[in-house]
Amino acid sequence: MSRPDLAVEIAGIKLKNPVITASGTFGYGREYAEFIDLNRLGALVTKTITFQPRSGNPVPRICETPSGMLNSIGLQNNGAEAFAANDLPWLAQFDLPVIVSIGGDDIDQYCRVTKFISQVEGVSALEVNISCPNVKFGGLGFGRDPRMAADLVAKIRTCSTLPLIVKLSPNVGDIVAIAQAVVRAGAQAISLINTVLGMAVDIESKRPRLKSVVGGLSGPAIKPIALRMVWEVAKAIDVPVIGIGGIASAADALEFILAGAGAVAVGTAVFMDPQSPIKIIEGIEEYLTKNGYDKISDIVGALEIAE
Amino acid sequence: MQVKATVLQKDEVAPQVHKIRFFAPRIAKSAQPGQFVHIKCGEEQNYILRRPFSIHQANSSDSIEILFKVVGRGTSWLAKLKVKDSVDIIGPLGNGFSLKSRPGKIMLVAGGMGIAPLIFLADKLAKEHTKTYTVIGAANKELLLDYMNLKRLTRKITAATEDGSQGVKGLITDILPAAITEDHPDVIFACGPFSMLREVAFIARREDVDCQVALEELMACGVGACLACVVKTKTGFKRVCADGPVFDSREIEW
Repeated sequence: MSRPDLAVEIAGIKLKNPVITASGTFGYGREYAEFIDLNRLGALVTKTITFQPRSGNPVPRICETPSGMLNSIGLQNNGAEAFAANDLPWLAQFDLPVIVSIGGDDIDQYCRVTKFISQVEGVSALEVNISCPNVKFGGLGFGRDPRMAADLVAKIRTCSTLPLIVKLSPNVGDIVAIAQAVVRAGAQAISLINTVLGMAVDIESKRPRLKSVVGGLSGPAIKPIALRMVWEVAKAIDVPVIGIGGIASAADALEFILAGAGAVAVGTAVFMDPQSPIKIIEGIEEYLTKNGYDKISDIVGALEIAE
Repeated sequence: MQVKATVLQKDEVAPQVHKIRFFAPRIAKSAQPGQFVHIKCGEEQNYILRRPFSIHQANSSDSIEILFKVVGRGTSWLAKLKVKDSVDIIGPLGNGFSLKSRPGKIMLVAGGMGIAPLIFLADKLAKEHTKTYTVIGAANKELLLDYMNLKRLTRKITAATEDGSQGVKGLITDILPAAITEDHPDVIFACGPFSMLREVAFIARREDVDCQVALEELMACGVGACLACVVKTKTGFKRVCADGPVFDSREIEW
C-alpha cells in the first residue's frame, strides 16, 4: 500500500503535512535546528514581529501549572528590520513555508509591519496576532470585539497581497462571531486558540508567580477548551482552521483534525520534547495507514455525532 | 543534542541535596564548565517544562554529573531516580565561563548551591595548573558542598557559614573583600543566589577585578526560542539560556 497523502492547503499555501510549529514557542526556527529537521515540518510560524523592537515584560515571565504553563513574555522581539535581515535569509535554506506572525499596538503599527514584511523575500503567509494577552495595547484589545477585529483585518488586507491568517483568542464571549467577522474582512484561515488568561500565586511570598500578575495558559490543560472552539468555528466558516492548544501527541492532533481543523500547530509541547512535531507527523501517518485512508483530507471534520 | 542517559550513580550528599551521575558520552565530550543540561523530569503530560541544571562534572569522557537540592516537583522526581533508570537530557546548552584572556590567578566564589558549576571549572583549572583560590559560603557546615574536593583542587579555600559551624560566621560577601586583598585574583568566577551575585559584582568592581557570574532563571525552552529566562543587561534583555548563563558581571543591570 502506498503512503497516505498528508499534504494540505491552508490560505492558498501548500503544506507537505498539517503539522506547524506555533508562534512564540519556536523562535525563528534557528534555535531548534540542532534538534529537529526543519524540512519535515508542514510550516513554521515565527515569534510575533512588531514594526519596532520591543523589550517585553519583566521576569518571572513563566510559571509551570498543573498540565500547563503560564507565560507573560510581552512580545519581545528585535523588530521587523532585524528579522528580515537576520532570520528570514537563514530560513530560506529550508523547504519550509514561513508564516510570519505580526503584532502591533494600533492599526497603524499593524499596517506598517504588514507592508514591511510583504516586500521582503521568503514569506509564505502572515498570521495576524490579535490575541496576545500580555501587552497593554493592541493584541487582545482587537481580538475581543468582532467589529474592531474585522476593521483591523480589512485594513491589513489592503496593505498586503500575502495569504492572511488571523489568530484568535479564547478569552472572548462569542468566538464564532469573531471568526465570522474576520473571515468576512478577508482572513483566509483562522488559527485558534491563543493562550487562556490565567494566574498563579506563591502562598509563601504572597506574590503572583508572574511579575505581570496575569498571563497566558498553554499546554494540555487548555486542550479541551481549544478543541471545543475549533469544532464550533470550523462548522461556522468556510476557510480552514489551524487547531492550536495543548497538542502534544498525534492523538491530540487527530482530535483537532476530526473536529474540523485543516492543520494543527504544536507549541508548548516542543519545550518538553523538541521532537514532538516529528512524532506527531509520523503518528498521523500511521493512523491514516492503519485505518485505510489515502489522504489526510478524508478525516478533516470527520467527527461522527450520534443523532 | 537530545539523548537518553542512564543513571550510573546517585548519592544524597547532604540533607535534600543529591548528586546524580549519568552515562552521556556525547554530552560529556563537548561540555564546558558553566554550561547546563535541560532534563525532562517526570512522565507524560503533568510536567510541562524541563528543568535546567549546571553540569557539575564531566571529567571522565563518558559521564556527566548534576548536583541539586530538592525544591519542587521536578527535583523531587529526580531525587527518586535509581541506578539504571533512563532520563531524557538536552545539552550541553549555553555559554560557559570564558577563559580566553588566560588569567594568572582565579578566584572561585560559590554561594550555597552555586557550587554546582564550579567543581567542573575547578577540575579543569587544576588540570591546567592555573592558580585557583576558593571562597565558599553556605547556611551551615553540612551545606558547604564539595568542600574536600575544592580543598584538593584549589590552592586555598576560605569558608563562611551563616551559623558559624565552619569558617567565619557570616555571609560569603563578608569574607570576599579580604580574600581578594590577600590573593589578588585576576578574575572571579561566581555562582549563587542573585542577591549574592549582585554583591559579588559590586565588590569586584570596587576592587577592580574582572568577574563572571553564572545566572539562574526560570526556563521553558532552554535553547533561546521562548524568551522566558531573560536578564536585564546594559544592552537590553538577554537570554540566560542562550546568551548566558555566564555573563560578565559588568554587563548585568543589577
